[in-house]
Amino acid sequence: MNPKAIKIEAQKEIKRVKNLKNLDKIFKKYLGKKGKIAQVFNSLKKLSEKERKKIGKETNLVKVEIDKMIKKKSKELKEKERKIQIKKERIDITRPGKKIGVGHLHPLTLVQREIFEIFQSMGFSVIQGPEVETEWYNFDALNIPKDHPARDMWDTFWLKNNKLLLRTHTSPVQIRYMEKHNPPLRIIVPGKCFRHEATDASHDIQFYQLEGLMIDKNISAANFKAIIEEFLKRFFKTKVEIQLRPSYFPFTEPSFEIDVRKEKGKWVEMMGAGMVHPNVFKAAGLNPKEWQGFAFGVGLDRLAMVKYKIGDIRLFYQGDLRFLKQF
Amino acid sequence: MLFSYNWLQDYIKEKLFPAEKLAEILTRHSFEIEDVKKRGKDWLLDIDVLPNRGADCFSHLGIAREIAVITNSKFQVPSSKFQESSKLKARDFIKLEVKNKADCPRYTGKVILGIKVGSAPKWIQERLKACGLQPINNIVDIANYVMLETGEPIHAFDLDKIEKKIIVRRAQKGERIKALDDKSYSLDRDILVIADEKGPIAIAGIKGGEKTGIDSKTKNIVIEAANFNQKVIRQGSRKLKLRTDASLRFENGIDPNLIDSAQERIVSLIQEIAGGKIAKGLIGFYPNKVRPKKINLDLNYSEKLLGIKVPKQKAIKILKSLGFQSYEVEPREIVVEVPTRRLDVSIQEDLIEEIGRIVGFQNIPSAFPQAALISPEKNQELFWQKNIKDILKEIGFSEVYNYSFIGEKEEDIFGWKTAELIELENPMSSFNKYLRPSLIPNLLKNIRENLKFVSEIKIFEIGKIFIKKKSLLEKEMLAGILTRKGIKDEGFYELKGIVDSLLNKLGISNIWYDEYQSTPEESKLTHWHPSKCAEIKSDGEEIGFLGEISPKILEDLRIKEKVFVFDLDFEKLLKLVSEEHEYQPISLFPTAVRDLAVLVPQGTKVVTLLNRINSAGGKLVRDVDLFDVYQGREIPRNKENFAFHIIYQAEDRTLSSKEIDKIHQKIIKALEENPEWEVRK
Repeated sequence: MNPKAIKIEAQKEIKRVKNLKNLDKIFKKYLGKKGKIAQVFNSLKKLSEKERKKIGKETNLVKVEIDKMIKKKSKELKEKERKIQIKKERIDITRPGKKIGVGHLHPLTLVQREIFEIFQSMGFSVIQGPEVETEWYNFDALNIPKDHPARDMWDTFWLKNNKLLLRTHTSPVQIRYMEKHNPPLRIIVPGKCFRHEATDASHDIQFYQLEGLMIDKNISAANFKAIIEEFLKRFFKTKVEIQLRPSYFPFTEPSFEIDVRKEKGKWVEMMGAGMVHPNVFKAAGLNPKEWQGFAFGVGLDRLAMVKYKIGDIRLFYQGDLRFLKQF
Repeated sequence: MLFSYNWLQDYIKEKLFPAEKLAEILTRHSFEIEDVKKRGKDWLLDIDVLPNRGADCFSHLGIAREIAVITNSKFQVPSSKFQESSKLKARDFIKLEVKNKADCPRYTGKVILGIKVGSAPKWIQERLKACGLQPINNIVDIANYVMLETGEPIHAFDLDKIEKKIIVRRAQKGERIKALDDKSYSLDRDILVIADEKGPIAIAGIKGGEKTGIDSKTKNIVIEAANFNQKVIRQGSRKLKLRTDASLRFENGIDPNLIDSAQERIVSLIQEIAGGKIAKGLIGFYPNKVRPKKINLDLNYSEKLLGIKVPKQKAIKILKSLGFQSYEVEPREIVVEVPTRRLDVSIQEDLIEEIGRIVGFQNIPSAFPQAALISPEKNQELFWQKNIKDILKEIGFSEVYNYSFIGEKEEDIFGWKTAELIELENPMSSFNKYLRPSLIPNLLKNIRENLKFVSEIKIFEIGKIFIKKKSLLEKEMLAGILTRKGIKDEGFYELKGIVDSLLNKLGISNIWYDEYQSTPEESKLTHWHPSKCAEIKSDGEEIGFLGEISPKILEDLRIKEKVFVFDLDFEKLLKLVSEEHEYQPISLFPTAVRDLAVLVPQGTKVVTLLNRINSAGGKLVRDVDLFDVYQGREIPRNKENFAFHIIYQAEDRTLSSKEIDKIHQKIIKALEENPEWEVRK
């Protein structure tokens, strides 16, 4: 058979073919071991050398062309079939995702991490202290003498049979730290504190407080204002206004209460602060004529409540996963 | 404390700011106003007078003085006009004896004869009611009125009911008094009384006695204005559980010199309202007159502490408006004379606070400190806490914060001995009677509550526990707890894997789990399932426990699922952790896996097989992985089948299958040396 005729025939058949299975048949028919091209090659023996060369060359060309056509067609058909297949495949993307068992950190942990980072960037070290305290560190050293009505400001849990108590604030760590470290110093002290008082949405028998203390030769109330504004701005990630007003704490003089408001919001009482009282320096073994500085105490629960709009402090201590999973 | 706006207006010459505005100004400069309420034509201000300012501000005059200073207005004190009878002398009617001047630094009694008891005028009654006091009769009401006005508690006795003499002394044990509140109090040495020759007629500074009270027939009276030791009054008031308007004021301390103006004021009001003749002079006791203190104030220091410049003349003016006289001694130093009513002012920092608050703390500018750059110390404990929390969170555990207390119920269920627990002297209730000796009880409570809403719970807590050893021990622990609906023993292995991963990530190697044999006296361990509990050890030291909670405890707590717990000593972990970590090169040569199944008697510990495999296999055995444990059909009773993947790999060459066969056969032979173990081929 004439190779050209084979090519034309094959071309027609390839053009018509609709699926890969039939294309394969065409391949066998023309290019298979016993296919038409092979037959042509077999028949070459009978021809003269000159003709053999000529037709052989022609046949080879035709073989390559048919192969190309089949490959091209095969690619087309595969693409077509894939399209059909893909059209059939579908999922409901509105179905819920598979639940992955991720854990959650407690909101007070998250808040603490943020606060530590802010204060550490301003050179404050994070220090801790014991939860069970002596009367000396919790009261006397902080200029709160026995039988003084000021003690009524801290309703205290006492331990039986020894004179120990559950610390009512983190301020004892001020004394503990100043006893062992010479100024200049900058610390914050996070920790669990306890108050013997009736519980409601904003009071619980335990809570977390953050104490701050900065002591040097010239630390002023103006410095306190700057540091605390910077902290609040970075913590709430928005512009905040603060208002200092007079207050009374035996361990600071002057003493302030700090109210905070976010843009045009309501003033919220946020923390107590003041300039460290000379008697506190004396109790810690430092000379008040040499050093001065500020101290502040802020409720971590309160900060977390404002930040996350949590309405009840007691939610922090219930271990309720429906609450915890939101953080 | 409640204050009447209209009453305050009496003492200010200019018209006051509207109540709301006034409240705002007072909050900025003096005291927080908790509430402003309209009452008829008046407003009531609920002022949170700071405890150190009780002496001068538990009174309308005191608050008015503050208002005058901060609003730059004129303060006017009410005038007291009365006539004393020249013929009658107070000391002819009654005698006075004060036993101890420390208990009673000052005492005064004024005698008025021939008064007429009746109702007080409407305006007085109204003002008392506004401030929460009940009108009684004109004499008592005027006494209360003067207290609210001046801050000096005043008591009126019926002169004719007193036996000859007023004695200020400590009560004797066994003495009793019927007070004006109609209750009877038993007294002792801790309580100061006013007595006559027969016995107590008033609890000093706290409450009057019924016997000498004013009634409708009273004609002649003694007006007491005295000063009592604040600690003694506080102690007495606590002991009798009796707090009154008078005791509150005495407890906070009062200036003894306040008595003079208060006596004049009450006598003039009584004469005006109830008539009577005032006997000349008074019965009095005031051995050590209190004089004004003098404090040196360094204005440079004031500026350095506040961070705001206040010109000297302005500082002096502010102090003067508050009643403090100043004298310059140096260009930047003044001497300040403190009025005796200001018991809160004793050092120069107190004066600096006065200047600061009147200038307005809000006017202090913000200024960053100029201080040396110090980098913060690294807190190892918090660093590792953070690491641990992050690892556990990644593994799917959620963090809880529990109360640091347990109650009687837990004491009972967990079987702690009272002697081991730290008990509170004054718990709120039986729920917080003790400090928690373990994190586990409260975590179990979390489990019980959460099982109502979720089917799987993985939670952990890091916190302090408290145990009684020789002394009190406060110790940080880390505990995790796992349960789910229908959980079986696999929970143990799950949690064990979690502990392994955790410790591994903390760089703690050399961990093993030891069977725990509890001795009967180790009652702390009774919360573990007796045969499903392991001691976690590292370097030969116990660092914690892992196990299932005892079914009895779960039943008592009404938890229906098995619960698995790890409880680690955080402080011991802290000694073992390490940030150091070295990369192990990955072998370039392929691994080969051969499986091995061994039939062993039930109860055989996997670790014994693993040890045998590893020691026979040597270092070419890279890993042994238990992938199946089976008992049941096809397997003889009392036997179980362990199936392992053994992973072979060399670091320096590709192992030939011949080489692997040789080691594998060696392992099989080693296992079969135990006649009870049969390797299934």
